[in-house]
Amino acid sequence: MSGDMMIQIENLNRTFAHAGNEVKVLQDINLTIQKGECVILKGVSGSGKTTLLSLMAGLDKPSSGKVLIEGEPISKLPDAFASELRAKKIGMIFQHFNLFEHLSVAENVTIPLIPSGMKMKEIHSKVERSLTLANIIHKKEILASRLSGGEKQRTAIGRALVANPDIILCDEPTANLDRDNSLLFIDILKELHSMGKTIVVATHDPLFDNLSFESRVIPMVDGKIV
Amino acid sequence: MTNNAFWHFLTLQLFKERSKHTSVILISVMILFLLSSVLFISSSIRFSLDETLKVQPDFVVSRLQGGSSIATPLAWGDELLDIYGISKVTPRVYGRYYFTAKEKSFLIVGVDFMEEQSHERLQKLIETTDIKTFFEGKQMLVGAGVKTYLEAHFYKGSYNFLTPDGTFEKVKVFNTLPTQSNLLANDMMVMPIDLARKVLGLGSEEVSDITFNVPNPDEWDMMTDKLSALHYDLHVVNKNEVRKSYENLYNYKGGLFLMLFIIVLGTFALILYQRYSMVYSSERRHIGLLRALGWSINDVLKLKLIETLIVVFSSFILGVFLAYVYVFMVGAPILREIFLGGQNLDNVVSFVPVVDFSVLSSIFLIYALPFIAAVLVPVWRVSVTDPKEAML
Repeated sequence: MSGDMMIQIENLNRTFAHAGNEVKVLQDINLTIQKGECVILKGVSGSGKTTLLSLMAGLDKPSSGKVLIEGEPISKLPDAFASELRAKKIGMIFQHFNLFEHLSVAENVTIPLIPSGMKMKEIHSKVERSLTLANIIHKKEILASRLSGGEKQRTAIGRALVANPDIILCDEPTANLDRDNSLLFIDILKELHSMGKTIVVATHDPLFDNLSFESRVIPMVDGKIV
Repeated sequence: MTNNAFWHFLTLQLFKERSKHTSVILISVMILFLLSSVLFISSSIRFSLDETLKVQPDFVVSRLQGGSSIATPLAWGDELLDIYGISKVTPRVYGRYYFTAKEKSFLIVGVDFMEEQSHERLQKLIETTDIKTFFEGKQMLVGAGVKTYLEAHFYKGSYNFLTPDGTFEKVKVFNTLPTQSNLLANDMMVMPIDLARKVLGLGSEEVSDITFNVPNPDEWDMMTDKLSALHYDLHVVNKNEVRKSYENLYNYKGGLFLMLFIIVLGTFALILYQRYSMVYSSERRHIGLLRALGWSINDVLKLKLIETLIVVFSSFILGVFLAYVYVFMVGAPILREIFLGGQNLDNVVSFVPVVDFSVLSSIFLIYALPFIAAVLVPVWRVSVTDPKEAML
């Protein structure tokens, strides 16, 4: 296995049972993503890109096949190890942001670091750094429920970056943003790319077609890479 | 994971979701308050009864004919004295005097000045009263309930008893019995023994019953058999039987509450279960999100367990504390009527503070285990599903 390989997907299949039928959401996916690479999974709604992203994050289990993160099969790992891997290696940005609405921006960003056993002082400094990077430090005391869509997105970015993960997975990151905020998000993505992060974005937004930084677009149709 | 950051987050969650926790705590406090109050009352009553029974004689002998109690010959007392192992034989004169107009009755108790035991017991009960003066005239000591009742019916300072031979007997109220004895003495009228005989229509060689002690408890069963053989109409009751009949009464009342409590607790546990399972999707989403952000199943369970324990302990402490104040400081209005209600005269009973820690531990377990299970089982079920599914 190459030392530069970050994510390796081998013969991945995911099926769901629906109304007595077996629905194939992903079929025979084989994909290798190098360290520091930016990959855009492109496809219409229902093409399987979100499911593929969830499998990469270990949020879902494949019906068959493997997802390896730096050579570790994430779906086969015991819960404690898989959780640790998710906490340290992967930062996830969800389509609907998925923030704890009753907590403030800074408190939301703190959450991934709680199980790490770090001291509060260390956590605070990491949160500050992450909020600065996501350009939302000025709103750190504001409740998530009071934020605009763009601010929520930047909070979600801050949360994804707080553990300084190697991999950033983004699920339809601009689906709930206006054009200006979408462009701002792409700027942040560019910065993350320059920092050497491995980025995977699942989107159908045309803004990702011609990024100003090096990226690989992988089109998906009906659960297959085409 | 139980580091500073964990506790910080836990406190944050509890504080920020205080409205959710407050409603759960309030319902729990109410349930625990009621149950603890009931148990405090029954423990206190049991304690008072035990204390009262401690100074009561071991055995009571009376005469029973055709199922009815009739006057007991005083001569039986001499026969009892001849039996080896029996001590402190005391004839007693007492009985109910009916105030027919209002369907109430008073318990008349005659005390023999010459009889040392009754004399001492009475002196202990009313330490400030001069007993010698009391025995000098037609006078009585009355319970607090009797005093209030007589005054309300314009009998101030004395009462005219209608004796069985049709004459009136005017008896002066000498003093009131202390309120601490209200559980048993509320409707009591204590008077010299000859006066009591007259009011109750007993002859000079007759008594209501005869009490005695048997110091060796191993002889109690045998003594009952021996006495029953003495006279065909002799009825004997020992202290343990009296205790059992009282305990049965209060256990019955406490048991009814326990049943109600279990039903309420069951309903509450069901509500909690629903809250943390499918019905409340926000809970599911939060747990799924924590898992997606790198929290392990153990981390999530630990957070929810400690959160639940804090809710359980604070509800328990608050509920028990409020029950203590309600029962022992306020006197348990309303509930008192349920336990002591149906009494002959209105009674003011101050419950002796008795806290039975084994009962408190039982309450805690009966309450805490279903509560914790009702929260943790659905949390565990959500935690072990894939985060993606939980977040849907």
